[in-house]
Amino acid sequence: MANETVLIIGGGPAGMEAARSVAELGYPALLVEKRDRLGGRPDEEHYAKLTHHFRDAEEMIQELLDAVTSNPNVTIMTSSEVVGCEGEAGNFRVKVRNGASTEDVEVGAIIVATGFQHFDPGRETQMYNYYTFPDVITLADLEGMLKAHQVVRPSNGQTPERVAFIQCVGSRDRQIGNEFCSKVCCGVATKQAIEVKQQLPDARVFIFYIDMRMYGYWEPDLYWPAQEEYKVNYVKGIVSEVLPKGDRLLIRGEDTTMGRPMEVTVDLVVLSVGMEPSEGTRKVAKILDIKQNKYGYIEAGGPTGVDPVATSRHGIFVAGAAAGPADLDDTFSMAGLAAVRAISAIRRLNLAKAV
Amino acid sequence: MDAGLDKVEGVWQKETAIVEGMDISGPWNRMFEQRVIWEYTPEIIENIAGVEGAESFAWCYQCAKCVPVCPVDIVGDYGPRKLYRKAQAGIDWTQGPDLWLCTTCANCLRVCPKEVDMVQIMPAVREQALLAGNNVPAELQEALENTFRYGNPLGQPARKREAWVKKAGVPVPLLPKEKRPVEWLWWVECYPSYHPRGIDASIALAKIFNALEVDFAILGREEKCAGDSQRLAGERGLFEMLAEQNIATLSKYEFQRIVVTDPHALNAFRKHYPKYGGEYEVWHYTQLLAQHLGKLKELMTKPLNRKVTFHDPCYLGRHNGEYEAPRQLIQALPGVEFVEMWRCRENGYCCGGGGGGMWLDGYVVNYQNRRLSEQRVLEAIATGADTLVVVCPYEVSRFEDAVKSTGNEGKLEVRDVVELIVEAMGA
Repeated sequence: MANETVLIIGGGPAGMEAARSVAELGYPALLVEKRDRLGGRPDEEHYAKLTHHFRDAEEMIQELLDAVTSNPNVTIMTSSEVVGCEGEAGNFRVKVRNGASTEDVEVGAIIVATGFQHFDPGRETQMYNYYTFPDVITLADLEGMLKAHQVVRPSNGQTPERVAFIQCVGSRDRQIGNEFCSKVCCGVATKQAIEVKQQLPDARVFIFYIDMRMYGYWEPDLYWPAQEEYKVNYVKGIVSEVLPKGDRLLIRGEDTTMGRPMEVTVDLVVLSVGMEPSEGTRKVAKILDIKQNKYGYIEAGGPTGVDPVATSRHGIFVAGAAAGPADLDDTFSMAGLAAVRAISAIRRLNLAKAV
Repeated sequence: MDAGLDKVEGVWQKETAIVEGMDISGPWNRMFEQRVIWEYTPEIIENIAGVEGAESFAWCYQCAKCVPVCPVDIVGDYGPRKLYRKAQAGIDWTQGPDLWLCTTCANCLRVCPKEVDMVQIMPAVREQALLAGNNVPAELQEALENTFRYGNPLGQPARKREAWVKKAGVPVPLLPKEKRPVEWLWWVECYPSYHPRGIDASIALAKIFNALEVDFAILGREEKCAGDSQRLAGERGLFEMLAEQNIATLSKYEFQRIVVTDPHALNAFRKHYPKYGGEYEVWHYTQLLAQHLGKLKELMTKPLNRKVTFHDPCYLGRHNGEYEAPRQLIQALPGVEFVEMWRCRENGYCCGGGGGGMWLDGYVVNYQNRRLSEQRVLEAIATGADTLVVVCPYEVSRFEDAVKSTGNEGKLEVRDVVELIVEAMGA
């Protein structure tokens, strides 16, 4: 008989949603998380509000947490890492290490939900002097400031008058190796620009972009209100370099729709850093022996190309940003589907044996 | 030429030029504008969009669909998208010529995904300039003052408004003298009352009304300019005054419907007079004549032997949705081959006369490589037509001037459709 337990690796939004779905469908879920608590990237990086519904991140994570902790079908192992895997669909034998001890668990299917990490703008080219100028920050840094209602210039603690977002940092870049679009940064930057205007109504906020990628309802829910209600300024043309100018920052680029060079002084530069596969995603892919694409994400799609949660190995599925840049809508959709696919795989094996 | 300008190597340049604080005096003024953008100025956008009616200016997301369909961009560097970007990049275009180049033709609004509405923005922003008495071209100022003083932009005495009637050769009843209700009150408007070529068309229309036994009368000297183009040029106060006066005049008489010669008057009556209490059923004369197509065909017996093309007036077509009536009349003309220009109907090109452009020809020519009317005449000639048919009183004089100024005299005749109908009637 196939083991009915579904192992979910990663306790962020994708993992918690997958565990909840498995449990609610009546199957045992084992949720393994490397950190000492669940919540994933939104928790670890202190997200304030979520794109695109402006939902409070802590509140949303708490709802997921309550759902998995209150369900007796879910077993949670924190501070635990998957370090080995043998067997096949229906009967995987997985080694889980917790501190000094290692435990063997038997599961029927696996869902990988190990997520992403933010691109590090210091890597490769020291882009935009992120590690040199304190007033050059990333989306994740600003998210924390917004959460604390403390949007200031880190160099002097003063309120910025002019804030400039630079899009596509670490994405769509052959030199860096991330040729993909990170999909969420246009929406996140726009969401944050709105929040900056809400917290600092007198600030002038600019977004410098190559092209704005505001998928679906992000257009009417984020982009249009940002421009029409919150007076966020969008300027087509990416910034080439950030230079010091007195105690402020000079950003240089081309204003492409004017066809003119652009050299303007701002107080705070926010780098819209993209997504990359997390360290956990890279590690787990190797342990489970599933294919990664050239960017290190877990290759999904299955033989048909239209199964977004299938990996190269039968019985192992992927959900969320472990498979590539994903927003929360993508993540939740994938998590539910991965749960269904995992249970189906187990049931099919057991039905075949029963015949 | 203005004082302080020298001609050097065929180019006019200012003796001293200071742009945004930078002295750029020298041959060809060294450069025509500052290259580097040093400062973004959302405050300029906010100031413009802060004017009541101009709110949508701030909505532009730079898709640029407006620019290729902007008639002004064809002949100069201009377009709604560009105005937004100029404002964002530190250029307050409301202080310069860009304020006066838009003809409110509405072709940008037709294609704009964000519904940025230049037809509302321009009059609102121009009103600020007029109120401040700043950056207002002299010839426009004169037309507005004429309208204020005489009730027409040409500066003609009010009593001469009905003088053309004597030359008509057919009865043109004056409603103040008729002392009876009529079916159609014919709103003649200014250019058809005073301009020689406008009068030609008025006489032709009077002949047709008589032949069709239309029960009509005009107001004569009691009629004043409907004021729509003055409104679009920014003179809302003047427009309100004219609307109130005209509505008071109309309230004295009994009639069932109004037929107008001028699409701009049609626009004023349909969209703006109701706000001041003037609610009427208003038709354009091509719509009324198209109702009598059968009888007109019987009356038109003389083949014209012409190849014609047709110019859609912005304020009849895009603004008020009528494209068919003029075409029905043209197609009914005997001995006429009809060819469309490639810009027609919803995408019709603007003659340059709308939105105050009628009184800015001397001004805008400094910022365009040719007038819109000249561009349009060249497009008409390119069809191989020998006659350009018009149905708006602004156009006959504009296009006839353009035929001459482009060196095409004798190659293209400009005729109001009613002149051709009368010609075919042999009347």
